Amino acid sequence: MFRVMKLTTFLLLAACLQISAKAVSQQITLSAKNAPLKKVLKEVSRQTGVSIVYDETMIARTNPVTLSVKNASVKEVLDQCLKGQPVSYSMDGLRIVIRDLPEAPRQPADTTIRVSGRITDDKGEPVPGATIRVKGTNTGTAAGADGNYSITVPQGSQLVISFLGYTPQTLPVTGSTLNVQLAVSQTSLTETVVVGYGVQKKSVVTGSISSVRAADLENQPVTRTEQALQGRTSGVTIAANSGQPGSAATVRVRGLTTFGNNNPLWVVDGVVVDNGGIGYLNQYDIESIEVLKDAASQAIYGARAAAGVILITTKKGKAGTLKVNYNGYYGISEPAKKLDLLNATEYATLRNEAAINAGKDAPFANPAALGAGTDWQSVIFNNSAQRQNHEISVSGGNDRSTFYGSFGYLNQEGIVATDISKYQRVNVRLNSTHKLSKYVTFGENVGYAYDKAIGLGNTNSEFGGPLSSAINLDPITPLVVTDPAVASQQPYLNKGVVRDAQGRPYGISGSVGQEITNPLAYIQTRLGNYSWSHNVVGNMFLEIQPIEGLRVRSSIGTKISFWGNETFTPIFWLNSSTTSPRTSFQRTNNQRFDWNLENTISYTKAFGLHDVTLLVGQGAYLDNRTKATDVTYFDLPASSFKEASMNFNVATANRVATGSEGIDHKVASLFARVNYAYNEKYLFTGIIRRDGSSRFGANNKYGVFPSFSLGWVTSRENFWPANNVVDFLKIRGGYGVVGNDNIADLGYASIVGGGRNYTIGSEGSYLVGYSPNAPANPDLRWEETKQTNIGFEATLFRDIHLSFDWYKKVTTGILQELRIPFYVGAFSNPVANVADMENTGIELELGYRKVLGDVTLSLNGNVSYIKNKVTDLGPGISYLSGGETFIASSYPLTRTAVDQPFSSFYGFQTLGIFQTQEEVDNYVSRDGKKIQPNAVPGDFRWADLNGDGEINDQDRTFIGNPLPTWTYGLTVNAAYKGFDLIVFGQGAGGNKIFQGLRRLDIGNANWQTKALGRWTGPGTSNDFPRLVEGDPNNNRNFTNPSDFYLESGSYFRIKNLQLGYTLPASLSKRAGIERVRVYIMSENLVTFTGYTGFDPEIGGNVMSIDRGIYPQARSYMMGLNITF
Amino acid sequence: MNKRKISYIAMLAAGMLVAGSCSKSWLDVEPKGSIPEEDYYKNADEAMNGLVAVYDVVGWQGNGFVTKVGALNAASDDHYAGGGGPNDVSALQVWSNYTLTPATGPQEELWRKGFSGVARANTLLAKLPDVPMDENLKKRFAAEARFLRAYFYFDLVRLFKSVPLMTDPISTLNEMYDVPQATPQEVYAQIEQDLKDAIAEPNLPDQVPAATEGGRITKGAAHALLGRVYLFQEKWADAVAELEEVNGAMPGQTSAKYGYKLLDNFGDLWNPAHKFNSESIFEIDFNANSAGNWDCVSCTEGNVLGVMVGPRGYRALTDDAPDYVSGWSFLVITPDLFNAIHYDPRYRYTVANLDSLEDNGIVEYEKGFMNTGYFLEKFAGRTSTRSTGGGNWELNFGLDMYEIRLADTYLMEAEARVRSGESGLAGTRSYDLLNAVRARVGLAPVSATIDNIMQERRLELAGEGFRWFDLVRTGRASAVLGSRGFVAGKHEYLPIPLLELDNTQIEQTTEWGGTK
Repeated sequence: MFRVMKLTTFLLLAACLQISAKAVSQQITLSAKNAPLKKVLKEVSRQTGVSIVYDETMIARTNPVTLSVKNASVKEVLDQCLKGQPVSYSMDGLRIVIRDLPEAPRQPADTTIRVSGRITDDKGEPVPGATIRVKGTNTGTAAGADGNYSITVPQGSQLVISFLGYTPQTLPVTGSTLNVQLAVSQTSLTETVVVGYGVQKKSVVTGSISSVRAADLENQPVTRTEQALQGRTSGVTIAANSGQPGSAATVRVRGLTTFGNNNPLWVVDGVVVDNGGIGYLNQYDIESIEVLKDAASQAIYGARAAAGVILITTKKGKAGTLKVNYNGYYGISEPAKKLDLLNATEYATLRNEAAINAGKDAPFANPAALGAGTDWQSVIFNNSAQRQNHEISVSGGNDRSTFYGSFGYLNQEGIVATDISKYQRVNVRLNSTHKLSKYVTFGENVGYAYDKAIGLGNTNSEFGGPLSSAINLDPITPLVVTDPAVASQQPYLNKGVVRDAQGRPYGISGSVGQEITNPLAYIQTRLGNYSWSHNVVGNMFLEIQPIEGLRVRSSIGTKISFWGNETFTPIFWLNSSTTSPRTSFQRTNNQRFDWNLENTISYTKAFGLHDVTLLVGQGAYLDNRTKATDVTYFDLPASSFKEASMNFNVATANRVATGSEGIDHKVASLFARVNYAYNEKYLFTGIIRRDGSSRFGANNKYGVFPSFSLGWVTSRENFWPANNVVDFLKIRGGYGVVGNDNIADLGYASIVGGGRNYTIGSEGSYLVGYSPNAPANPDLRWEETKQTNIGFEATLFRDIHLSFDWYKKVTTGILQELRIPFYVGAFSNPVANVADMENTGIELELGYRKVLGDVTLSLNGNVSYIKNKVTDLGPGISYLSGGETFIASSYPLTRTAVDQPFSSFYGFQTLGIFQTQEEVDNYVSRDGKKIQPNAVPGDFRWADLNGDGEINDQDRTFIGNPLPTWTYGLTVNAAYKGFDLIVFGQGAGGNKIFQGLRRLDIGNANWQTKALGRWTGPGTSNDFPRLVEGDPNNNRNFTNPSDFYLESGSYFRIKNLQLGYTLPASLSKRAGIERVRVYIMSENLVTFTGYTGFDPEIGGNVMSIDRGIYPQARSYMMGLNITF
Repeated sequence: MNKRKISYIAMLAAGMLVAGSCSKSWLDVEPKGSIPEEDYYKNADEAMNGLVAVYDVVGWQGNGFVTKVGALNAASDDHYAGGGGPNDVSALQVWSNYTLTPATGPQEELWRKGFSGVARANTLLAKLPDVPMDENLKKRFAAEARFLRAYFYFDLVRLFKSVPLMTDPISTLNEMYDVPQATPQEVYAQIEQDLKDAIAEPNLPDQVPAATEGGRITKGAAHALLGRVYLFQEKWADAVAELEEVNGAMPGQTSAKYGYKLLDNFGDLWNPAHKFNSESIFEIDFNANSAGNWDCVSCTEGNVLGVMVGPRGYRALTDDAPDYVSGWSFLVITPDLFNAIHYDPRYRYTVANLDSLEDNGIVEYEKGFMNTGYFLEKFAGRTSTRSTGGGNWELNFGLDMYEIRLADTYLMEAEARVRSGESGLAGTRSYDLLNAVRARVGLAPVSATIDNIMQERRLELAGEGFRWFDLVRTGRASAVLGSRGFVAGKHEYLPIPLLELDNTQIEQTTEWGGTK
């Protein structure tokens, strides 16, 4: 019988370090004379990196040893020095255990029992290092790399099996075998959070950080990483820029931080990746996403953190058995909604009415004869666009090396004009870690992606493209001209008229022109054009742990991208103003190289109840090293993309080429952080970072960004009564300063720039002129965002997790181009720190998890509210000139002004419609002057806000906020036996959308059916004015930006509804498969909204302006998840 | 592996990288493709590049399609703004119907244009003394820069009355808010001085070779501009002296010194094949080969009026229809001008009568805003003049325009003479001048009365951006433009752009409710 070993100090070592065959054969050189055995063993351990486990009391009974060896193996040394000792040794698994001689039993045989078994997690993976302890004693052991353990215990004992991150289990010993499956602990006490240059237990985190875990991502059919965050965490607003597959989304962390680039800093495995470039990631490769929301957590990223930091950690392999995982789905997409547009008869009726109202002849003699006409939406929408995604990963490793490799393939067709709307991506990833020795770890994470995108061209643009055309094109124009007599007349005789496969010309509208063209003809002109990119993002690190608690880490990361596009433009004539008289073939090539280097030292030490972690680091970052070339050949003898080639010898004059290089953006940083916890009850974090940026002026090259945060785990106080209501409560608060250097390079210097060209002489070429761009601003500095955050986290009734945050974020010295007087004559405006803005908000996250018999239920919800306000625009400036424009609108749609949300909608207020001439005549100012003397019944009554008795630009006001003030999400997970159900919904509200789907400058454009409710006589309508050709009395019913165009942007969307079934383990195991799950799911099944456009989710630099956005698709998919 | 070795390698690597990133100059970056101001203006080539930047402003076109000639046309009685709708290029619309306010109108673009030119000229004049280069060449550059500064200030003072007067560049943020506003007299004095300096410079040539230097300032251009400056100040005798120098001894004959002579064929003036012809004194040059594209409309060297004034949605129905490109229907010609010029020999070079073409079934076109059926033929783009170079053809019409041409200086001299007392009857020089212009297009002589001269100016120079200034300087604007909304005592000037008043010493003019 073996004696049970007391595991004291070496448990940890034994758990994490194992001997490999290589180490055992390591050559040892040592000589000792009457040295304690312990000292010799330590030396053996030091030289070889082998861990040697022993019991202190047992080793105390051994005799001193004398030996001298050179290049001996471990076995030789141990054999020598244990000769004659009261102990022997064994290789237990892959470590060496010193034990009593087997013939010296200490306990009577009938009172102990040897128990062995395997500790696994809920997926059947081994849990190496799990401790097995006899309850009420210090006796225990640890599980090996394969999860196996063996322990000798008194009969009738109870075993406590525990491991960090898992729920401990206490089980009685009933026989010689006890296999235990540990469940991943769901309590916030054991969860860890990535905090930037480290990991912290969630229970001691003092900042405001939201996390999304792999488990939440794996079952989402997202194409881009941003979408995975939507509705998942509080404090993050996400809106798709387009439903075009693969297109980016607008991401805002706690609202708008600055006037310029509000994109958060994305850090993937320590490598900074620009916002647009995040599309290379495959969501299945992501282990966790952390959003650093408050300044106290962001400060570790200093001068680039103000708009929020999003940390992405990719998956790593785990020691143990090889694991192969397949995830995939296949499905189809369709549009969720079509606009209600007029049919040909209705259109002609309204055109007649508008003409008659303008005193002209009705253009259509018999509208009814026109029937329904062409439904342009059905022409461009695809109800069965295919979409599929497959990913296979292999991971595993041993105690020295682990790896995770994956391959992914995604192919998605767009629902609009699918021939020119497609996206494909291929991903490869390899992450691995190698223990070079006991002290040194080396690893690398590398992801590569290739994507190919075929895009519509214009999306969310009033200037054409299939969507804008389908909305605005008249329904009378035929899809194709079938009458040869018509086809043989103008305009069908123009060179370049596009024809279908049978040679019939696509219909060309005689009523609606400009960029609005037959969408099928338009598609033909873009066939084959595509853009592509290659991205490699990776890092390598070396980590040394010379003594316990001290980690020295050096990491180098890079992002290398290549991207470009290939575009052939044939000769075409879509209408008189949308023509291409010549062929051209354009090829662009871009490359970009970013790198960063970080060196950190961290030291963790516990003194009694005090826990201290110190981190100091240094970083150097370079990005924007870009090069671009763009070549266009004109007049190629080709008529399609396939035929186009740059091998054609076109004349030199017909080759146009441009190129450019980016200016390096460099940041040099020093940073430090201290975390202190007393008994995990009183918590403190302090951070300071100093950043120098190449974008700052000579007088302000370096910025210092400090922060601190405090936490108090109230529930750990002695006075906290034991109760069943609040199990855990942490109150936390922090304050910090972060910065933003997101401005143009060299903004501080006076630069002489070219491009001020003029033609001199008649020989056809022009000369390039140079002049200074702007006055210098050597005081240029970072903009500062100061944020105060107060919140708490609590666990209620054991099952409910709650976290709440209130914050106030104040940005000062916003970097923007200073509007200098034009009389200075500068080419461009200098960059300066001029404006201030603040955001306040509250955030609530709620989680609930309960096992009720066979049913496992979990609910997770979050809701955020944000209020944004511009507080200063510089001395004497109350608003910025400019704003978002819309074609033929009498004024810009938006204005940025003091005391208003950034880029608020700005326009006129309507006060109903004049029903009679009497109402027009009675609409007078205080002094009796008619306010709208030229108005006629059926026109809008505009509010005369400044009371000057006339309607002009002074009567505009703030009429809505484009940025949602409320965002929320709700996930329900339910499982019953093998079945599981996921319902994930997400919504936003509080914003207004500008519904700009109809071209204002094209009077004959088709109308939406709400125009049928127009004013036609007293009492017919008080919100939709009369229709009249042109605007003869200049009342600007439609061309004034006004509340007429604004609609509520609130929506709630069932983003994902999924039903899965996992085959019984007994069945799948028989096939050698660990787990098989099949599922069906839908994406965007239902959207609840009152908005009349395609889709209320409208991203963009200024959100919520709908110029015909490419709507999100509704998809139905089935999927399979297999783990071997 | 030996642990110690690994640690060394790691430490070494870390150390090297730390050292690399901490060096002081690491944060200084290469300003690729652009040069710090202190490193520029180092030789004659760079000085020339600085001069080209000043000339660039002569052809200024804003991103919003506001050009000097386009805006002045829209404001005159000869054109409506037109376009696609009442808000299409609203800066032109509001000047056309006189609803402009200090916040909206073409003033911002035109103010910006003028001062950009002034600033670039000032920069060059400040840099030139230290540029190591041929001194004679340097003097020529300086004379050109002075001429151009005078030219820009002349537009500014005529459009805005009270403007800040600067003869040195502003290079720091601090000094730029303290610039005072000058009186018109001070500005005119500076303009005259700059032009006299240019004329006095022996290195400014009388003529330049068209092929290599066409478009550059000559002494003739300086005399012509100075003459016009005097004319606007009603310094008739001074104007006569300068303009006579330009027009030469015998009206209609080649002026010996400068080589000026009216073109025989009026239509050739708007043929790109006749750039820098003998009638051209100061030409605004455009280029069909700059590959301008929609990414930066203001960057093109092409003439945007080519597509702007074209008939909208133009569709040829017969083979013999004119080859207009489909344009945007801006600056349509008013019935008033149409009636005035309809039976004049210059009509067919001035007016594109789409109304008639459509009535005859030859073409179709979309009726834009304020459509009259009459388009500006002088600048209308045609398929035959469409660029065959790169970029978007809409932005690459190469047709030049004339800032000063001989017919104009003839008529100006005639006017100055008559206003200073000459009878204008046969035998007088003013009679000869006026009738040289008429004779070129085959019109019978008439006596040189002010009315006849002004009518001749209207028809000869129609669409070229002179009409509005002529109406305003002769005090006839409110009579002619009153029905369009012109208010005397207000609309003679554009308002100073509202934004220029923030934080500066600038005050609005009295015409627009201010004090200056």
